[in-house]
Amino acid sequence: MEHIVFGIGITALAGALATVAGSAEDTESNIGSQGDPNSQVQLAPQMGFLHRIFNKAVAGEPPAYGLWCCLGAGLAWAFMAMQINPVLAIVLGAVLATFVQGVYATTAYVGRTASLAKFGQPVFVDILKSMTTVTMAHAFIAIFCTVTLCHLINTALGHPFPLPLLGLIWGIALGAAGSATGNPYYGKERQYQNQKFGAGVPISASGNIVRYAEAGERNSIDNGWFTAKIGGSASGICFGMIVFLELWRTVVFEAINPWYAIIVGVLMILIFTVIDRYIEVWGRKTYGPYTAPKEAEA
Amino acid sequence: MSAVAAKPAAGSAMNPGAMAVGIILTLILVGICYVMSPGVGLMALIGVIIGGVLIGFGTHFVPVGGAPAAMGQAPGIATGVAMLATGAGVAGLFGGAWAAETLPATMDPMMQLIIVVCAGAVGGGLMMAITCMMVNFLYVFGMGIPPASGKVANDPITGDSQAEYKSQGTEGHGLPFVSFVGGVIGGTLGGAGGTLIYFELLVLYENALPGLMNVTAAQVMPIAVSAAGMFAVGLFLVNAVLTAYNITGTIEGPHDPKFKRWPRSIVASAVASALCGLVAVLIVMPLPI
Repeated sequence: MEHIVFGIGITALAGALATVAGSAEDTESNIGSQGDPNSQVQLAPQMGFLHRIFNKAVAGEPPAYGLWCCLGAGLAWAFMAMQINPVLAIVLGAVLATFVQGVYATTAYVGRTASLAKFGQPVFVDILKSMTTVTMAHAFIAIFCTVTLCHLINTALGHPFPLPLLGLIWGIALGAAGSATGNPYYGKERQYQNQKFGAGVPISASGNIVRYAEAGERNSIDNGWFTAKIGGSASGICFGMIVFLELWRTVVFEAINPWYAIIVGVLMILIFTVIDRYIEVWGRKTYGPYTAPKEAEA
Repeated sequence: MSAVAAKPAAGSAMNPGAMAVGIILTLILVGICYVMSPGVGLMALIGVIIGGVLIGFGTHFVPVGGAPAAMGQAPGIATGVAMLATGAGVAGLFGGAWAAETLPATMDPMMQLIIVVCAGAVGGGLMMAITCMMVNFLYVFGMGIPPASGKVANDPITGDSQAEYKSQGTEGHGLPFVSFVGGVIGGTLGGAGGTLIYFELLVLYENALPGLMNVTAAQVMPIAVSAAGMFAVGLFLVNAVLTAYNITGTIEGPHDPKFKRWPRSIVASAVASALCGLVAVLIVMPLPI
C-alpha cells in the first residue's frame, strides 16, 4: 500500500513536470516557428511580405525534441555513472543539450533565411542574437523537466528502460503532443490575426502573415507571449494528462491485476471520446453553420 | 509517362507486380532467418513483421493535416504523419514494456504476450485520445471554429453534415468525430505493433544473449531491454515514415479516399520490417560456419 501511495506521489510530480515541459516546448517552438506554421514564415517573403520572424524549422518538433531530450538524458546518465549528484547531473545534461539546441537554432535560422535571399529577405543579426537565447531558455525548461520526469520514472517507479531511451521516447511524445495541440493556435490565431476570428484561414490568404506589432515590426518574442496564454497552456495540459494518466493507471492498478490497468485505460479512452463528442456538438450548436444547409437552399 | 500525361490519381494506383515482388522478398528474408535460426529467431522475426504491418496499417488511421491544418485550412492534427504516429506508438511501447517488466515469470508466455500487447495498445490509444480531444478543445474554445471534414458530406459515424460547417476558402478544420475515432484506432494499432516487436525481441535476447556473452540471465537483462527497446523505436520510425510516403502528406482518417492505399503500404512495411528484423535477430545468432 505504501508503495502505491509513494508511486501516486511520484506520478503527480511527473505529471506536473510534464505540464511545465509541454507549455515550455510549445512556446519555444512558436518563438522559433518550428511547428507546421513555419511554412507560412518561409512562404511570406516569396509572396513579397518581408518579415522579422525567427524560423528554425529544419526538423519537426518530435524528432528535434527526441534528440535533445535523449541527449540530455544520456549525458545526465553518464554524469550519474560518474557518481555526480542526480540533480546536478540532470541540470548539466539539460544545459549541454540546450547548447546543441542553440547551435541548431542558429544554423537553421541562418540557413533557412539565406535560402530566401533571392526574394530580398535579409538575415537580421539582432534577431539572431535576441531570439536564440529566448528559445534556448524555453528549451532548457522543457528538456530539464522531461529528463527529470524520465529519471523519476526510471528510478522511483522502476520502469525497465534506461534513461536515454526514456528521454528519446518522452521527447518524441512531448514534441508530438506539443505540435499537435499548439500549432493551430500559433498558425491561425497569431500569424493570421488579421483574418476573421472563428473561421479558418482562406487558402488565398496564404503567405500574408501579420508583420507589424503595436509599435514597429512584430518579432517572435511577441508570438511566444501571445501563444503562451492558450496554445502553450493547452499543450502543457495535453502532455501533462498523457504522462499523468499513463503512469497513474499503471502504478495503481498494474500491481493488483494487469488487466485492471488495461480496463481502466479503455475506460479513460471512452471518457475522452464522450468529452470530445460533447466539445464537437457544443461547437456546432454554439457557432452554427457558416452557410445555409443545402436542403434549405433547395 | 511524363508528369503531364500521368493520371491525377496515379498516386493511389496499386501495382500488382511490385506488390508480388515485395511479398517474395519478405518470404526470402523469412527463409534466410529459418535457415540461420529456425526456432526462437524465426518466431521473433514473424512477430516483428506482424508488428511492423500493424504500425503501417495503424498509421493510415491517424488524422494528420500538416501545415494546412495549422492555419485551419484543412482538417486533421497539425503535425506530420510519421511524427504523430511515432509519438503515440512509443507512448504505447512505454506502457507495454512496463507491463512486461511487472508480469510474473511463471505466467504462461502466450498470456504474457496478450497482456503486454494489450497494455501497449491501450497506452497508444490513450495518448491519441487525449491529443485529439485537446486539438478539438483548442479549435472550439480557443479559436471558435467547429470541426468539419472536407472529404465527406456526412460524418460516417454520427451522420452530422459537414459541408456547411466548413468556413469559406478552406477544406475544413478540426477533428470531426470519425477522425477522432480513427486517431484512437491508429494509436491503438501502433502501440500494439511497437510493443509486439519489443516483446518478441526481448524474449529472443533473453534466451540468446546469456550463452553468447557467457553471463547470467540477470546480468543480461539491462542489455536485452535496451537493445529490444531501441530496435522497437527504430522499427517504429521505419514503418511510420514508409507509410507517410504512401499517404503523401495529409489524411483525414479512415473515411479519406487515401485510406484505400493501405494494401501497398503493409506490403512495404512487411518487407522493411523483415529486413530490419532479420538484422535484429542475426546480431545475437552465432554464424553456423
